[in-house]
Amino acid sequence: MSNTTENANNYIGKSPIRVDAYDKATGKGLFASDYFKLIPDLLRVKVLRSPVAHCKITKLDVSKAEAIPGVERIFTVDRSPFHMERLPEQVRFPIDGECIWAGQPIAIIAADTLEHAEDALEAIDLEYEELPHVLNVYEALDPNPKSVVDPNHGRSGTIDESNPWAKIGRLDVVDSKFAGEGVSPNIIGNYVLDKGNVEEAMKKADIVVEGEFCTGRRKHTHLELSSAIVTYNSDDSITCYGNGCGIHGVIKSAFVNIFELPENKIRTIQPYIGGSFGDRLAPYIEVLTAMMALFLKKSCGYQYTRAETFEGAPFAWPVYSRVKFGATKDGRVIAQDYDCVEEIGAIQNNVSYTGRLSSSGAVCVYDIDNIHMDTAAVATNCMPVGAFRGLGCPESEFGMEVMMNKLADDLGISPVEIRAKNFIKNGGHNGYGELVTSIGVEKCLRACADAIDLETPPEQDGSVWKRGKGCGVGGKQNTPLGRAEAIVRYYSDSSVEVLISCDENGMGAMTVMAQIAASVLELPIENVKVIKGDSIVTPFDNYSASSRTTYTTGNAVKIAAEEVKDKLQEAAAREVGVHKSKVIIHGSKAKILGSDIQEIDLATLFKNTSPYDQGNWGLMRFSPVEGHGVFCPAPIRKWGHDGLTKRMWNWFQYAASAMEVAVNEETGQVRILKIATSADTGNPINPKTVEGQIEGGSILAASYMLMEEPIFNEHGAIINKGLSDYRIADVLMTPKNDNFISLINPDPLPDGPFGAKGMAESITIPIAPSLSEAIYQAVGVRPMYFPMTSERILKLIQEKKAKEAENK
Amino acid sequence: MIMKFEKYFRPESLQEAIDLMKEYKGEYKLLAGGTDVVIRLKAHALRVKTIIDISRVPELSGVRIEDGKLYVGANTRLMDLSKNPDVVNSEWEILAECAGHVSSTQVRNVATLAGNNVNASPSADTTPALLMCDAVVHIAGPDGKRDVAVDDFLLGPGKVDLKDGEIVVGFTFPKQKENSQAAYIKFAIRGDTDIAIVNAGARIGLGADGKVSDARLVLGAVAPRSIRMKEVEDFLIGKKATEAIIEEAAAMARDSITPITDQRATAEYRKQMAYVNLRNAMTEALKKLA
Amino acid sequence: MNSFENYITVSFEVNEKPVTVFTAPNRTLLDVLREDLGLVGVKHGCDDSNCGVCTVIVDGKATKSCCMLIGQAEGTKVTTIEGLEKDGVLHPLQKEFIEHFAIQCGYCTPGFILAAKALLDENPDPTEDEIREALHGNLCRCTGYKKIIEAIEAARDDMKAQA
Repeated sequence: MSNTTENANNYIGKSPIRVDAYDKATGKGLFASDYFKLIPDLLRVKVLRSPVAHCKITKLDVSKAEAIPGVERIFTVDRSPFHMERLPEQVRFPIDGECIWAGQPIAIIAADTLEHAEDALEAIDLEYEELPHVLNVYEALDPNPKSVVDPNHGRSGTIDESNPWAKIGRLDVVDSKFAGEGVSPNIIGNYVLDKGNVEEAMKKADIVVEGEFCTGRRKHTHLELSSAIVTYNSDDSITCYGNGCGIHGVIKSAFVNIFELPENKIRTIQPYIGGSFGDRLAPYIEVLTAMMALFLKKSCGYQYTRAETFEGAPFAWPVYSRVKFGATKDGRVIAQDYDCVEEIGAIQNNVSYTGRLSSSGAVCVYDIDNIHMDTAAVATNCMPVGAFRGLGCPESEFGMEVMMNKLADDLGISPVEIRAKNFIKNGGHNGYGELVTSIGVEKCLRACADAIDLETPPEQDGSVWKRGKGCGVGGKQNTPLGRAEAIVRYYSDSSVEVLISCDENGMGAMTVMAQIAASVLELPIENVKVIKGDSIVTPFDNYSASSRTTYTTGNAVKIAAEEVKDKLQEAAAREVGVHKSKVIIHGSKAKILGSDIQEIDLATLFKNTSPYDQGNWGLMRFSPVEGHGVFCPAPIRKWGHDGLTKRMWNWFQYAASAMEVAVNEETGQVRILKIATSADTGNPINPKTVEGQIEGGSILAASYMLMEEPIFNEHGAIINKGLSDYRIADVLMTPKNDNFISLINPDPLPDGPFGAKGMAESITIPIAPSLSEAIYQAVGVRPMYFPMTSERILKLIQEKKAKEAENK
Repeated sequence: MIMKFEKYFRPESLQEAIDLMKEYKGEYKLLAGGTDVVIRLKAHALRVKTIIDISRVPELSGVRIEDGKLYVGANTRLMDLSKNPDVVNSEWEILAECAGHVSSTQVRNVATLAGNNVNASPSADTTPALLMCDAVVHIAGPDGKRDVAVDDFLLGPGKVDLKDGEIVVGFTFPKQKENSQAAYIKFAIRGDTDIAIVNAGARIGLGADGKVSDARLVLGAVAPRSIRMKEVEDFLIGKKATEAIIEEAAAMARDSITPITDQRATAEYRKQMAYVNLRNAMTEALKKLA
Repeated sequence: MNSFENYITVSFEVNEKPVTVFTAPNRTLLDVLREDLGLVGVKHGCDDSNCGVCTVIVDGKATKSCCMLIGQAEGTKVTTIEGLEKDGVLHPLQKEFIEHFAIQCGYCTPGFILAAKALLDENPDPTEDEIREALHGNLCRCTGYKKIIEAIEAARDDMKAQA
């Protein structure tokens, strides 16, 4: 060992290979859906779902279905012994036989084989009377809507106080255009923010720009189908194997709350999972499967079909927004007047949505003295929504960024410089009044602009493919989502176990945790084994969301590893007979100050053991030194009627992109020719996995902003519920490798582990406005709706041409 | 979903296949590559009791040129067809080109030329090639063999002139007119993986006077089946194919179709894309002639 | 419901080992590989041959096993992801997917590696465009595809150097 005190095993900012890569490259790693093969005597589950968006059930007869051999007793609401009102929205059963979205569960079937379950599904006799439905924000906002979504509306329903979110985000009185007399009964939540005086500031502005925006509904489309297996065990406990997120904070807590099971009768296990993107944060398939297992007292397994992932799982919420900026002629924005409405689907007992989540993106990037935001949530007869990478910010910031580009164009200022004039600076405050301690957005934007030479207009080749360049930025809050714990174990031979319960959706969390543990303990990363995702083994972690894992779980792992080091220090100090402060742990050695013994191997501290060596006190082989880390960010401080607070969120991640596109003016097709995207990750723990998030996030966002859209039939049911016509990007959409540039421009986060913060959500935000601007520069039309399909872009081009012809 | 058929046969001769079709009359489905049939079986869009897998019937294979005509066996895989040097460097090159636009590598590796045509999808990629080349469909059945022109073979969506008990054996592509060239454009959102919004094919022949002497214009996904634009072909014949004439022809085609709105596009967009892509296909064919 | 009289016997080779199954005919190659042979490295992601995670190699050609009846497999040679590692040595594609961070959630990985293997076996020196053309039947929602292509290019170069 060298005599220097430098850590030879510092993995921070390096890119060791992923700890899960070998498992995944060889097919040896088991995913949730592989467990169907492993569990004996498993019943297969199917669910009868409402075929239309709004109806009253007039007949539900399961007798023929139950007569099919192998089919167990079918679950319906009137047979339920459970608290059905506590079910998550995505699996809420009809109240009084009124189905409020196409896909709502009506009955659960379990049978000995999938075929029998499918036969039973067909044999259920369902009759219904169709009722009018509302499917989009405009219909839902109508003061006299065709459909009032919540069947309990007008009745004295109360908010379920057992819901931990119940007290968040609701104020009894807000001065909102979306509240009070004469507004739609489908509006079920408001949030208002008032800072300075927007009215006065608008009067002083040299220029005012305004636009209305609407964004589409998008589906996560992870490739592994949602799956859950719930075994019913001999001691009346249940074990759930599934690809849902949050083994403690989401799934176990849902089971305890809904089924009132003792906490020690539930085990939740998360094997490798084939993607989530926010979808698997909502416990839907796990709850349906557990309900059936508990109803029958038998083990049940359920895997969605691809179609069910569209009708029985959440979509991201579409956002309507109106953005108005007042600015000085040198490009300083002095007033922001902003409305937004989250369209949340068939949510009945809303406690989460008020417009506050989406609009958080609209006040965290620019330093604007006068802001008025008026936001709301509105229900429709669509699948209840759920989180999707970005939590509404790609939607809410789309309008902000498009208007910023327009302002730049109108004032003749570069889109980079106008933004630089307005960005919040490190140490400054955002729209809520929160201190911003890490913001690298300007570096990100400048790097992207340079990478594609944004200021130089693209060369045109005279064909129908017109070229243009554009840019945009994005910021995303990190919600303080509670606690993460970690256990780190150090064995006599300096091998290490890290026990965590964060989710590994594919982002590389397991590798990052191994890097953090190895770096603190100054050991080769090969010594570290990460054990993850079994609720009776691995300690509490809420769930991986809001890009919190590196930060929250990372801090917990760091604390746990530091505790191990502290204990080793103490053990070495006792052994040598010095004060613990005189011991420095470097990997598997302890350096001792002030003693004739200058160094000891930690291995020598661990006594050997055998069945005959009783009385082994102190450290012992096979009994590791264990550190327990607990980390929990401070909670939100409740805001007042002006919506302002010093702590609304936690920290903020930032991103920027710039791209060159070609637009076919005859067909409306868009091709991304070159793209540069940059993330402010704080200090990246593993730059290669960060790059992977940048590239994946860029293409995911480009995909849903250009193509992805569910199409509804006249009954309000989705018709393109498959990967053939709900199109996600294939490899041909990705620009050639040389034209696909990912950049990391960190501003370290003071309280992040080694200065790191999360980044995976913000990266999706700048893509839409960059596209919109590049399209504008190419063909002179500015898309204000996404997805910007070829058909929609062509229509804009044709409308523009018609207007030009008229004006001639 | 679990497929609902009960019996599976894999005949090893044409006669055996014909006998099986007779035995299971009215309740069988033929399967060659299966890339379409298996999907429909799994979706329960197709419910039959018996699957007859004809992929090992030797009489259905082979690609050869005889007497100046191209013969392609029914079971020829689309990937093989798209790369077959006898086809690629021939007057029937358009057939290889169209076969190369069917879905992805994995599908082309398995799907067959007959399969791509007998399910009579209005957006099938190889059907326009058959129409542009005046292909003849060879059919065998309990009462012997018969030949049908491809234009008569296609009846409507999912419907072809194939009676219970009959099977497509192969296709013959006659000698193409001198001084003629063809082009094909698949217009889809992502590319070949998608089902086309519109596809357009054009074969144009020029006479010694430089005027159009022969034309085959095909549009797909705009009608219940791939259709020839015969009126537009007649309009072109005898004219000099100037830019203006080509545009006029494409506009005629656009105005003559009544496509539907579905999850892929509106009727209006389909019409506009039919114009753009048919015009581009004609222009490309002319470019090849120049 | 299938009775045994309709069952079929199918003999084929999987990862260079002979296999015979006696099975109801209304099953896909994917079903048999996963359920009967325990080769769960072959994944299932959609019901209509769009996603490509079920890709295996059949007689040298990349094939979507979700859309191939088990009867069609008679006499064929099938390679799954489990068959790539030889004597503890990873296939160059596996090695490069790992080293290039071409794997995130990993659900599409076996399908991509096998589609790429079929390509490289047939064309040892494909261009970036040829790789893209061979792979657009495989979807990935995590990576944005760039690192997958880089990994395949690196494996191509490794294999050329070894040849």
